[in-house]
Amino acid sequence: MKSAPFEYRRPASLAEALQILDQHGDDARPLAGGQSLIPLLAMRLAQPAMIVDLGRLPELRGIRRDGSEIAIGAMTTQAQLQRLPLPGILAAALPHVGHFQIRSRGTVGGSLAHMDPAAEWPALAVLLDAELELAATSGRRLLRAADFALGPMTSAIEPNELLVSIRLSGAEGPFGFLEVERRPGDFALVGAACHRGRLVAFATGAIAQRLTRCEALLREDGSPGDLRALAEAEIEATGDVHASAGYRRRVGAALVQRAVEAAA
Amino acid sequence: MRLELTINGIPWQGEVEPRLTLADLLRDRLRLTGTHLGCEHGVCGACTVLLDGEAARSCLTLAVQAEGAAVITVEGLPSSLIPENAFQCGFCRAGFVVSAAALLSDGRRRGRQELAEELAGNICRCTGYRPILEAVLRYQA
Repeated sequence: MKSAPFEYRRPASLAEALQILDQHGDDARPLAGGQSLIPLLAMRLAQPAMIVDLGRLPELRGIRRDGSEIAIGAMTTQAQLQRLPLPGILAAALPHVGHFQIRSRGTVGGSLAHMDPAAEWPALAVLLDAELELAATSGRRLLRAADFALGPMTSAIEPNELLVSIRLSGAEGPFGFLEVERRPGDFALVGAACHRGRLVAFATGAIAQRLTRCEALLREDGSPGDLRALAEAEIEATGDVHASAGYRRRVGAALVQRAVEAAA
Repeated sequence: MRLELTINGIPWQGEVEPRLTLADLLRDRLRLTGTHLGCEHGVCGACTVLLDGEAARSCLTLAVQAEGAAVITVEGLPSSLIPENAFQCGFCRAGFVVSAAALLSDGRRRGRQELAEELAGNICRCTGYRPILEAVLRYQA
């Protein structure tokens, strides 16, 4: 449980960080809060030649508001975010993002870049149709959440790029956000969320899944029983040591129904 | 790599390997063995320390990330916070004491349910948690 040796860089500016990534590409791994990467290092599931510590880049911390739009700096910790006035759905989701001793170091950008299928931020990004801002030495680009999430533990960030912010607009309003977890703060066994007629199931399969057929049923005012049955059919679940695929579909469908009721 | 930080109010500087965790710096280099290592991947909470006032897993923090930081370990906290008799084997105690100190530092009094949920990031395999929660509730009162 000890990491293999690596070279360590601690850039003092975003420009310097991007230059290091440009030079070292695939050999370098950015380190945000380390709450996912450091366990991977300890278990030697990741053995990068170089770690680029983003911890001293103040330009990536904090949030900016413009009307109903919020841009959250990628290196903002979950705990820093929790201390700010936030749209209800974010305030409700954040206590589920690890334990408070994890939220003190874990960052929004780190969670999005890590793209764990059970994590809250990738699900929120898809649900709220967030835009992800990526930077490289050659310039910046914006990606919609649906294009950013490629698969389990896989985002669209290129080796020479850094995620610098997540932009949300219209995140206010009624919502439902529900998880089943063994202890508060543990990884979800199953999760579902609803906001402005959009529905996402997470911790169910390979990736946070938008339930478009269920959304269509909502627009047609389908009955709660129909919604639950459709959700159970639509959720693409996988089983593992924590829960079977059948459990995830059944419990996921129940959570979908409750999330819709909460958001009504 | 050169590292400077303060631990329980005392400045420390030295050479460390980048891969050294804060937990291993505390235990192996500084012999502050009150901080325990259980799972070494952030799940059990035994290694919790205060990093610039916030509770953090020292097994999930590289020592070099704590450059310039103020670290408080269980050795730097009042032992009255959770007395030893609230535990059996005591392995998890440091993590609970530090976590409780971080929670209570905002001065807000918490109910049993809220405390139980907030302290869910610390695992105890002996007690069933009740005596630990009772002790924190008594300390608050």
